[in-house]
Amino acid sequence: MRQWLGLVARLVTGGVWIYAGAVKLPDPYASVQAVRAYELLPSSVAEAVGYLLPPLEIVVGLALVLGLLTRGAAVVSAVLFVVFIVGIASVWARGMEIDCGCFGGGGFDPDARSSYPWEIARDAALLLASCYLVWLRRSRLALDNLLFRRTTSPTGG
Amino acid sequence: MSDPTNPTNAGRPPKPTKSQKAQARAERAAELIRQQQAAERRRNMLVVASVVVAMVLIVGVLFFINASRDSVDDIDAAPAGKSEWGLTIGDADAPHDVIIYEDFLCPFCGQLERESSEDLNRLAEAGKVQVEYRPFNLLQADYSVAAANAFAEVLEKEGPEVAKKFHDLLFEDQPSESGEQPGNDWLLEKAVEAGADEATVKAGIEGGGQEDWVEGATRAAADAGVNSTPIILLDGKAYQEGRTIEEIADNLISELE
Repeated sequence: MRQWLGLVARLVTGGVWIYAGAVKLPDPYASVQAVRAYELLPSSVAEAVGYLLPPLEIVVGLALVLGLLTRGAAVVSAVLFVVFIVGIASVWARGMEIDCGCFGGGGFDPDARSSYPWEIARDAALLLASCYLVWLRRSRLALDNLLFRRTTSPTGG
Repeated sequence: MSDPTNPTNAGRPPKPTKSQKAQARAERAAELIRQQQAAERRRNMLVVASVVVAMVLIVGVLFFINASRDSVDDIDAAPAGKSEWGLTIGDADAPHDVIIYEDFLCPFCGQLERESSEDLNRLAEAGKVQVEYRPFNLLQADYSVAAANAFAEVLEKEGPEVAKKFHDLLFEDQPSESGEQPGNDWLLEKAVEAGADEATVKAGIEGGGQEDWVEGATRAAADAGVNSTPIILLDGKAYQEGRTIEEIADNLISELE
């Protein structure tokens, strides 16, 4: 049962990552601007992060959906969510009004203040799902189960 | 181990008992399993390593494609003072030139103007920089068009000095992008405040007489690869040193001092 729940967690979290990455991938400039809008990173670092995030999100999402190195992918996923939550919380605390740029977009957004809580809640839920996958280790219908099938009896070390 | 070719049997260890034999068998079997497990671990590590390498490769390749597709680094704009769609201050022989692409409604443009305008005026007067402001319609808002239209009208009819004052006033009292934006009456008021003659510029501001200019400026900006604002070009290269607009403005000014 837990392993089926793990499958659901993988599909939901991975699906969100793939979508978020795919929406941002075609427009690297907007992606860089969205990172800049947080006003947390020096310009050149923001640029690198803006280029890096979309492909990273897609690969992490694919790994989760396929169940490929699930644990590792879930760790990366959890770390990213922590970073995003910190980022959104920090703009909120600084009273800035920006679109989180989570799914494309980014920059100034007059209605940002009302969306911060919901964005943080969403990321926190996905963070939980990622942590669950790290803890669970194995889930159903995962490529891991094919790749790392045991060929010996599980005795001893 | 004993040597079966030695007939004397000298030094031969005592014959293994049954239980010792069984133990040896079990050890051999355990050894075999250990070897298999070690092989499996090696295989698993190899799989993990190759999958990780493949993932890193995909991310890396996409990263570089992304970096090379980005357009800020290859903005190909007309040199400062050489565009039909701008307002230039300062001497052409100044050691540096700055071009600023902006939209009258864009909040970050307003912030940049408030942070940098005075210093740039001073530096331009001191002959340290030539600055060309290139307003255009990025945000596709009515106010963006109306303000750029009014700016072009004032520039044409009243010359660069009044137009610069008008430009500065529009950014000083910049309306919010989210709220309701003022119309042509307000723009005319600001133009007069900047020193324009009301009768001269009224028709052009209220009738949108310079909307072709706005379209031309917008097309020129798009052709140059400008797809956001504010874009600052220092000596022809995109300038974005700093985390915030404030920092970027400060850094720009200290480069020019």
